[in-house]
Amino acid sequence: MASPRKYYTITAIVVFVVVSLIVFSLNFKSPERMSFFRKIVLEAVDPLECAVDSVFSSVGGAWKRYVMLVGLERKNKELEAKIVSLVRDVGDYREMSLECARLREIMNMKKGFEFTTVAARVVGRNRSSVFKTVLINKGTADGIKTGFPVMGTGGVAGRIMETSRNVSKVLLLVDYNSNIDVLVQRNRCQGVLRGCGSSGCELRYVQKSEDVKTGDVVVSSGLAGVFPRGLLIGKVAVVKKGEVGLFQKIMVHPAADIARLEEVLVILREKEDNG
Amino acid sequence: MIYYLLLPIFSLLLLVIQVTVFDILFFGKTGLEISLILVVYAGFYLSMIRGITLAFVLGFLLDCITGVVPGFFVLSYVLIFLISRGASLKVYARGMVFTMGFIFVCVLFEKFLIILMYRSLYGINVFYDILNTSLLQAVAAGVFAPAFFVLFHRLEVLFNVWEARSPDQL
Repeated sequence: MASPRKYYTITAIVVFVVVSLIVFSLNFKSPERMSFFRKIVLEAVDPLECAVDSVFSSVGGAWKRYVMLVGLERKNKELEAKIVSLVRDVGDYREMSLECARLREIMNMKKGFEFTTVAARVVGRNRSSVFKTVLINKGTADGIKTGFPVMGTGGVAGRIMETSRNVSKVLLLVDYNSNIDVLVQRNRCQGVLRGCGSSGCELRYVQKSEDVKTGDVVVSSGLAGVFPRGLLIGKVAVVKKGEVGLFQKIMVHPAADIARLEEVLVILREKEDNG
Repeated sequence: MIYYLLLPIFSLLLLVIQVTVFDILFFGKTGLEISLILVVYAGFYLSMIRGITLAFVLGFLLDCITGVVPGFFVLSYVLIFLISRGASLKVYARGMVFTMGFIFVCVLFEKFLIILMYRSLYGINVFYDILNTSLLQAVAAGVFAPAFFVLFHRLEVLFNVWEARSPDQL
């Protein structure tokens, strides 16, 4: 005859497995039911993150700076060459900007969109996870809401996935669950940019007849309502037109340095047009 | 009882260290899933109820902090705990090599669950991407696992001593 302790153990196993399955399925059916608990956890993380981060960021910063000294001379030369090229580009763009302003005045058009932003610091990331998310140290107290776009250095980094009072979780654009409606800037060809983990992103649903080249700039289309129109997302890295299928296989390299995100800007809302 | 009260706090602290400190230590190149090592340790050395509660809490907190598909880590950690528990009942000589190998396999098993989940729920094949990153992570976890096992064991002993003494102090 089995002892009561054995039944107790088996019952515990069954209960925990069933509860795990319920939690897993509940989040697909009605995610808002669990969001209360998730918010509590995120809020509890905040003081711990701040304490640990303040101790280790200074040490880590010094260590990173020391590591960065290696190969600094080579990098310096590369950057100097880049500056020369960029100065030339800035001159061109300044000319174009003035021309654009004149044309806008002539046509009485509205000015481009401006955004209210909140700067935040990345306080946590889990590189061992396949899920590409980071935690930032701003939340609903700063006006951040779920779905708001997040900009990194250079371009779009992702969007707010979950937020509590002082902490928010950002779904990076390289995550498999990230989908952004985008345009290829040069030919205005539209597609959906899906994250591909460490491989970057894939631009999907672009027909083979469309002329997309390596190096083409990809910007947000503004169609889905999450990302404002024209935000820089990345550059086309690989274009493959296979034998079968309707669409091209296009890989996009994100403009934001996703692996080294330290500070981000959260776009709160569009300002009223000035024009 | 005090174990269950302190469990969420220490689990949260461990996960915060995992997502902050270890990012700095590994220069952002790879990650070390200490939480998974702890789940396997629990499977080997803790009692069933304590261990499965620990796996559940760690999974839930990790879901809240970094998860994109909520509930995934809860399920995978509970499964990994049960597998570790099963292995601990069958294998008596758990040396360092066994621990390293077992952790290596557990990390790969977790990644396999992710591949399976994406394949079945979203129809996305993430196999090659995960293969690129997870082998290094599995090796890192395997290499560091014995050291963490020693650390967890010492913490467990300290906690047991403290737990045994605490009623007298009260």
